Amino acid sequence: MNKELEHSFVELLEKHQNIAHKICRLYTNNYDAHNDLFQEITIQLWRAYPKFRGDAKFSTWMYRVALNTAITLYRKSKRTINTQDFEGVAFKIKAEDYDDTEEQQLKVLYKAVHQLNDIEKALVFLYLEDKDYREISTTLGISEVNARVKMNRIKTKLKTILNP
Amino acid sequence: MDELDILKKDWNTTKPDHKKLTVNDIYPMLHKKSSSIVKTLFYISIAELVFWIIINTIPYFCSAEYNAKLEAIYQNDAVIVAITIFGYAIIALFIYLLYKSYKSISVTDSAKKLMESIIRTRKVIKYYVLYNLIMAGTSIMVGFYYAIHNDPDISNKLAASGSSKMLPIIAFLILFTSLFIFGIWLFYKLIYGLLLKRLNRNYTELKKLEL
Repeated sequence: MNKELEHSFVELLEKHQNIAHKICRLYTNNYDAHNDLFQEITIQLWRAYPKFRGDAKFSTWMYRVALNTAITLYRKSKRTINTQDFEGVAFKIKAEDYDDTEEQQLKVLYKAVHQLNDIEKALVFLYLEDKDYREISTTLGISEVNARVKMNRIKTKLKTILNP
Repeated sequence: MDELDILKKDWNTTKPDHKKLTVNDIYPMLHKKSSSIVKTLFYISIAELVFWIIINTIPYFCSAEYNAKLEAIYQNDAVIVAITIFGYAIIALFIYLLYKSYKSISVTDSAKKLMESIIRTRKVIKYYVLYNLIMAGTSIMVGFYYAIHNDPDISNKLAASGSSKMLPIIAFLILFTSLFIFGIWLFYKLIYGLLLKRLNRNYTELKKLEL
């Protein structure tokens, strides 16, 4: 039974792993830290999995657990400190699609998002993932109105970072 | 189109920069050790419980002489028994409260609720430490009081030196005890402050949104 549970979980995670990778990309600066956070997210998902009922979508459930791990539970391990930034790797932009200015703009934008605080990053992440304000508000535990207000403030903040 | 929409376009079209993990990569990850703050908090609370239980119990086992002295001072077994039972009842109560608050921590709650459950757990540990510090402080003061009054050696010396010296001695004892308690309290503040710094910051940020 346990093997079956493990098997079904691993298959689902393999399929939806990109959600966790994207969160790691937002909340960490280097390769080791990325792997470390991914590992912790996997453990938390696996522990919570026996209580996961099929009535919610696995991906929806995963957004919540993974974000909670990144914002609240994750404690940076010692081995992820003092490693080199992989900014260049993390924000690789497909060169053929963009001209210099747009590529440059995206680079600065990703950098700007990285400077936001943990909660702002969570809002931006859910927004980029096309979640509506209802889902954003229930994931974070704030009201829908406040989620909207905060989102607008973040947009203004990004604008000022980009056009000082 | 605002900045975030430019980003969104790229976010959804850019290929992932991390290598795709296979099923075989994921399997061993399930059984690795977690390094979450809840786990650390759990170990600290266990250490806390064990530490104070040992501190409270050592004197009973270590020295028969100490026990004999205690009995001589109180001259009443019932008082000692009552204090002991009370002490263990408090410990049992804290174990129960800790268990309940750990059970309420759920990673599938909203971010805010999860943070609140962790903060509540930390508060239980805080009150336990506070209780022990107050008890330690009281014991030290009561111990000194009985020593001054009941130990013939000390009371004779004090009587010889006159009552004018009593005040500085009492003042010194109070100062010594407070510094001792304050020192331990600062040490705890530092440990929990470091562990929960990020959580507290994020919780404040979420609370700020609700204003």
